[in-house]
Amino acid sequence: MTLRLLATMMLVLVCAGTLAGPREQAKRMHDRLAGVPPSSATLDQMAAMIGAGDTRGAALTAMDNDAFYDVTLKNMAMPWTNRDFSVFRPLNDYVATVIGVVRDGRDFRDVLSGDVLYIGNTGLGLPSYSSSSNAHYDAIETQGLHLKTALIATTQSGVTGVPAAATAGVLTTRAGAKAFFIDGTNRAMLRFTLVNHLCTDLEQLKDTSRPPDRIRQDVTRSPGGDSRIFLNNCIGCHSGMDPLAQAFAYYDFAHDVDADPEGDNGAISYNDAGATDPATGNRVKKKYRINSDNFKFGYITQDDHWNNYWRSGQNSAIGWDVASPGSGSGAKSLGQELANSHAFAQCHSVHVFKTVCLRDPQDAADRARVDTITNTFTASGYKLKEAFANAAAYCMGQ
Amino acid sequence: MMKHITSFFIALAILTLTACGGSGGPSTTATPPANAQGSDVTAYTGPAPNTADVQRFKINLWDSLSAKNRCGNCHTTGGQTPQFVRTDDINAAYAAATTIVDLNNPGMSRMVAKVAGGHNCWLTSAAACGDVLTRLITNWANDAQGAVKSIALVAPTLKTPGDAKSFPTDAAGFQSNIYPLLTLYCSRCHREDAAVPQAPFFASVNVAAAYQAARSKIDLDSPANSRLVLRLRNEFHNCWSSCAANATTMENAIQAFSNSVPVTHLDPQLVVSKALSIKDGIVASSGGRYDSAAVALWEFKTGSGTTAFDTSGVSPAMDLTFTGDVSWVGGYGIRVQNKGRAQASTTSSSKLQRLITSTGEYSIEAWVAPGNVTQEGPARIVSYSAGTQARNFTLGQTLYNYDFLARTSATNADGMPGLSTKDADRALQATLQHVVVTFDPTHGRRIYVNAKQVAADASGGASVKDWDNTFAFVLGNEVSGDRPWSGVLRLVAVHNRALTIEQIKRNFDAGVGEKFFLLFSVEHLIDTPASYLLFEVEQYDSYAYLFSSPRIVVLGTNARIVSDIPIKGLRIGVNGKEPTVGQSYATLDTTLLAADYMPAGLPLASIGAVIATDKGAQDDEFFLTFERIGSHTNVRTDNSSPTPKPVADLTPQADVGVRNFAEINASMAAATTVPANTTAVKATYDKILQQLPAVERIDGFLASNQTAVTQLAISYCNSLVETPARASAFFPGLDLNSPPSTAFAQANRHLTIDPLLDRLIGSNLTSQPDVPAVTTELNALMDRLTTCGGTCPSDRTRTVVKASCAAVLGSAALLVQ
Repeated sequence: MTLRLLATMMLVLVCAGTLAGPREQAKRMHDRLAGVPPSSATLDQMAAMIGAGDTRGAALTAMDNDAFYDVTLKNMAMPWTNRDFSVFRPLNDYVATVIGVVRDGRDFRDVLSGDVLYIGNTGLGLPSYSSSSNAHYDAIETQGLHLKTALIATTQSGVTGVPAAATAGVLTTRAGAKAFFIDGTNRAMLRFTLVNHLCTDLEQLKDTSRPPDRIRQDVTRSPGGDSRIFLNNCIGCHSGMDPLAQAFAYYDFAHDVDADPEGDNGAISYNDAGATDPATGNRVKKKYRINSDNFKFGYITQDDHWNNYWRSGQNSAIGWDVASPGSGSGAKSLGQELANSHAFAQCHSVHVFKTVCLRDPQDAADRARVDTITNTFTASGYKLKEAFANAAAYCMGQ
Repeated sequence: MMKHITSFFIALAILTLTACGGSGGPSTTATPPANAQGSDVTAYTGPAPNTADVQRFKINLWDSLSAKNRCGNCHTTGGQTPQFVRTDDINAAYAAATTIVDLNNPGMSRMVAKVAGGHNCWLTSAAACGDVLTRLITNWANDAQGAVKSIALVAPTLKTPGDAKSFPTDAAGFQSNIYPLLTLYCSRCHREDAAVPQAPFFASVNVAAAYQAARSKIDLDSPANSRLVLRLRNEFHNCWSSCAANATTMENAIQAFSNSVPVTHLDPQLVVSKALSIKDGIVASSGGRYDSAAVALWEFKTGSGTTAFDTSGVSPAMDLTFTGDVSWVGGYGIRVQNKGRAQASTTSSSKLQRLITSTGEYSIEAWVAPGNVTQEGPARIVSYSAGTQARNFTLGQTLYNYDFLARTSATNADGMPGLSTKDADRALQATLQHVVVTFDPTHGRRIYVNAKQVAADASGGASVKDWDNTFAFVLGNEVSGDRPWSGVLRLVAVHNRALTIEQIKRNFDAGVGEKFFLLFSVEHLIDTPASYLLFEVEQYDSYAYLFSSPRIVVLGTNARIVSDIPIKGLRIGVNGKEPTVGQSYATLDTTLLAADYMPAGLPLASIGAVIATDKGAQDDEFFLTFERIGSHTNVRTDNSSPTPKPVADLTPQADVGVRNFAEINASMAAATTVPANTTAVKATYDKILQQLPAVERIDGFLASNQTAVTQLAISYCNSLVETPARASAFFPGLDLNSPPSTAFAQANRHLTIDPLLDRLIGSNLTSQPDVPAVTTELNALMDRLTTCGGTCPSDRTRTVVKASCAAVLGSAALLVQ
C-alpha cells in the first residue's frame, strides 16, 4: 500500500519549468558540482554571490562540499581506471591521486607525468599503502572517510619502489598498472590514456601514411593471409601507436597468472637501470617480444625510446606542444608529451562540461564554451577547479 | 652493357642450404620413400656406387626417375641418350646425369627445362613435372653441398623508372567497360553463387570484389597480353561464339578501360634508382628443406586451374582436386574458404596408408595462415579421413589451438582423444605459421609451431594401427564437407618419418614461397661503378610484396665502395609513384662507412616493408627514391595540415538530469542526516547499487531505477525515524510514540510536513515542486494511512512518518538536478 502511495507522489512531484533566479542557479550549481543539494545556509551564501556576479566564488563554495570529492570527482575519474569504463569500481590510488591533484590545485598535467600519489592520512586506522594490494583504499571507503580531508600527498617513488624518473602520474599507480600493464603488450596503456585523457580512440587517429618501421614483430602483416587488412587497417593505428607505446618497454604488472589471474595481489614491475630481463637480454620486458614469428622483419624493441609519428600528418590536429621535441625515453616524458597537447586540456574541459552540464557539448555555443573552459584551465596553470567553476557558471541556468 | 658477376656467400638462414652435417641437417641418412609402385618399380642390381655422391644421386634422383612411367622407358640401358637412369651401372648413369643437371642451381638444370617445356611429362602439368625434378635435384644438391650456399648475383639490365599506368582505386572504369562482358559471359562459373563456383570471381555481383579479382588478369599497358584475352584467343577457354572475335571484344574492352586510366608521371624532383621488376630478380631461395622422407608434397605453384599437384615425386601422385571456393594466392598457395576443399582420390591417398604403416611414424607439415581465430569443429586443415567419425589423421583448428587427431593403438577410430595446444598459449595465430605434427611409437604425438614444440603426449607406447586405406586425403574441410576451415595453405607435406626438431627448424628456416634478389642500380647516385642497393623481395601474398634485408653491394672482384654513403628517407616506388602506405624505410637516416664494407655488402636495416601490389607480380615495376643518397638530395617537408573536420550539432539534449547512484546516496544522507555508512542503509545501498541510475541523462531513467530509489529512501527514512536523537532533531516537537490521532491531528501535521519540505525540497525555489501541492499530497497520504478501521497499531505513527519522509525523499524533488 505504501509503495503505491509513494509512486503516486513521484508522479506528482515534478519540476516546474520556470526562469531561474540566483537561488535557483545556486541550487543547480551546487547540485551539479557537489552532487548533493545545498544546505539552506550554503544556498543563501551562493545565491548572494551569484547575485553579486561572483559565480566563481559560488562555484568554489559548492566545491568545498565533501561530496565534490567523494562523489563528483570520484565518479568522473573512476571509468579511467578500468578497461570497461565502469564507474562501479572500488576507490584506488589512481582515482585518489586525481582527486588529490584537483583538491590541492596542482597542475593537472601531473596526472600523466608526476611523481605523485595520494594516500590516506596516518592516524585514520588504515592499513598501510601496499604495492600489491588495494586494502588501503578499500578501508577508506569502508570507513566512509571524506576524501577532501582524508587524503595526503606523497610520492610514488617513496612507496612503490618505482624510481622517481620512471613515475608517470596515474599511469604508474598500482591501479593504472593493474588495468593497463597487466598481461598483453602494454599498448593498452597508451590506448586507454588516449581515450581517457585526450578523448580520442585509435580509430580516430588512424593514419595509414605514417612509416610502419616501428611496428613490432607480433603484428602480423597478413592477417589470415590477406595483407590488405594490414595495409588498410592495422597499419593506421600501429604505425603511430607502437613507437609511442615503446615508452612503456620496461614496465609490467607482475602477478600469478594461474592463482591470481585478475592481479588482485599483483604489483607494478619496472626494469631499472642495470636490470636484465632474461627473455630479452636487456631492460625490455618479455611482453615486447612475444609472437615474434608473426613477422620476423618487424621492429625489435631494444629500449624505451619513443617517437611521436603523429606530430605530422592528420594527427597534428591534436595540438602537440611545439616546444617539446616529440621524442624521449620512458613513460614520464611520454606523459608530458600527451599532457602538453591541446587535446589533453580540451579533453578534460569536456569531461568537466559533461559532469556539470549533464550533456555532451551539442551546438556551437557549447563548443565555444568548451574552448573558453579550456583556455581558462590552461591559463590557470591547469587547475581543474577553475574549469569546473567556468563550466558551472555556464550551466547554472538562466 | 658490361655485366658484372660475382659470388656472395649469403649467410642468411633463409638462403642457407644446410643439407649436410650441422644442426640443420638430417640426423640420419634417410632412404627416400619407395618411389615406384607395382610394375613400375625398377630394381637395381648393378655395381655399387663408386662414390658417396653417386650414392646420393641414386637415392635422390635415380630411384625416382628410373620407373617405366617416368624416364625409365627411354633413358635406360641401351635407350635414348643421355642414359641417366640406366639400370646396369649406376656410376655410368651418374656420369650421364651430370651433363644435364646443375647442382648449384637446380631450377636451371637442362633436365628441368626440357621436361617443364613439355618433354614427356608424366603429370598433366609440365610445370609440375619441372617442380618435381627441381626438388629431386635440390635434394641431391642439399645432400652434396655444405651449409653455405653460393648465390651468383648477376647485374640486371639498367632501366630508368618510367611513366606508367596503375589501376585506379575506383572501379568505375572497369565497371563500365569490362564488367559487362564478364557478367554476361563468365558468371555461370566465375561467381561465388554459381552452381559450380570457379575462382577467381571476377564476375561477382559485387563490383568491387570483381574488380579486385580481375586486376591480375588485366594488362593495362598491353591489353592484348591480358589473361582475359589470352584465355580466349590462345586457350579457347569457354568462348561464347568465335574465340578470335571474343578475344578481340575483350581486348577492346580492356583497351577502353586502359584509355580511361591516366598515365602516372614520375616526379622529376625525385632522386631515384634504376628500375626493376620481379622478372629481373635472381631467385634467392634454392631449397634447403628437408624432404627426404616426404611421401606427398604440395607447393601450390601452379597458380591456375583446379588441381594442386603432388610434387613429392613419390608415386602415385596425390594430386588434389578443388571443390567449391578454393583459389590460388600470389607467392604460391591456395585459399580455402566457404566450405571449399582440395581432395585427393582414395586410390592415390592409399599411398599414405601404405608408406606410413610401413614405417610406423609420420609427420604432417604445413605452412598455413588461418583465416581467423574463431573457427572450430575442429575445422579441418589437413585430414586423411572418411567423415566426422573415422580418420587416420587430422590436423585441425579450434579457436586459438591446433588439434592433432591420430588413429593409433591408444586412440579410437576417430583419433580421439586428440592432442591440442594449450588454450593459454594461443599458439595458433591468424598469420602465416609453420605447423608440424609428428607421431612415432616412442614419443607419441607432438605439435610444433614455428619450430617450437608446443604440445606433446605425456608418453609414447602407442603405434599406428588399423589404418584404413579407403580414406581420402583432403585439405580445408572434412571429406563429408561439414567441418570447413578458412585460410591459406602455402605448402603441405606428409613425411613417413617423425621429423626431428632439427629437421623441423631447417624447414621453418627455409621458409615458403619464392624469394628474389633485386639489384637496384645506384651507381649514378654514389659514383661507384656496379653499385646496387640489393633487396630481397617476395610475393608476400596475393596483395603485397615483402621487401627485406636491404644492403649496398658492389659487383666485381674485390669491388667495394670507396667513400662513406649517407642515406636518408628511402622509399619504394611502384609503377612511377611512391605508395603512401607501408614505407618502412622512410625514416632511415644512416651513413654507410666504406671501411665497414664486406663482400656480402653493407646492410641498411633489419626491418622489412610490405608494399601493396599494383598491377600484379608480372607487371609491377619497382624503383627506389631517396631523400638523400651520397650527394644527391630531395628535401621533403611535411606540409600537410589537417583540414578541420566539420562538427555536426547533436540532437538537443535535456537541460536537466537525474542524480546518479552515488549522488542519490550522498544526497539522501545529507538530507536526512543519516550517515551513508550506517549499517542498514549501506546494506540496502550495496544491494541495489547497480539498479540505481548509472548515468545522469534523464532520458535513460527507467522504472526499475525508481524502484531502487524508493527502496533506498525507505531505508534512510527508517533509519532516521528509528534513531531517536536524530529523529527528534529532524522533527522537533513531534512525539513519535503518540497515537496517530494525536500526531497527525490537523494542528500537529506541520511537525512532520514542515521539516520534510524545508530539508528535502528547500524554500523559495521556483525550480522545486510546488509546496502547496506537495503538502496536499502528504495530507492525503496521512489521511489514508491513519484510517485504520478501528485502533491503529502502536507503531503506526512512525510508519506514517517514514512513509511521508520516503515519499518526499524518493521523489523528483531530490532526484532531478
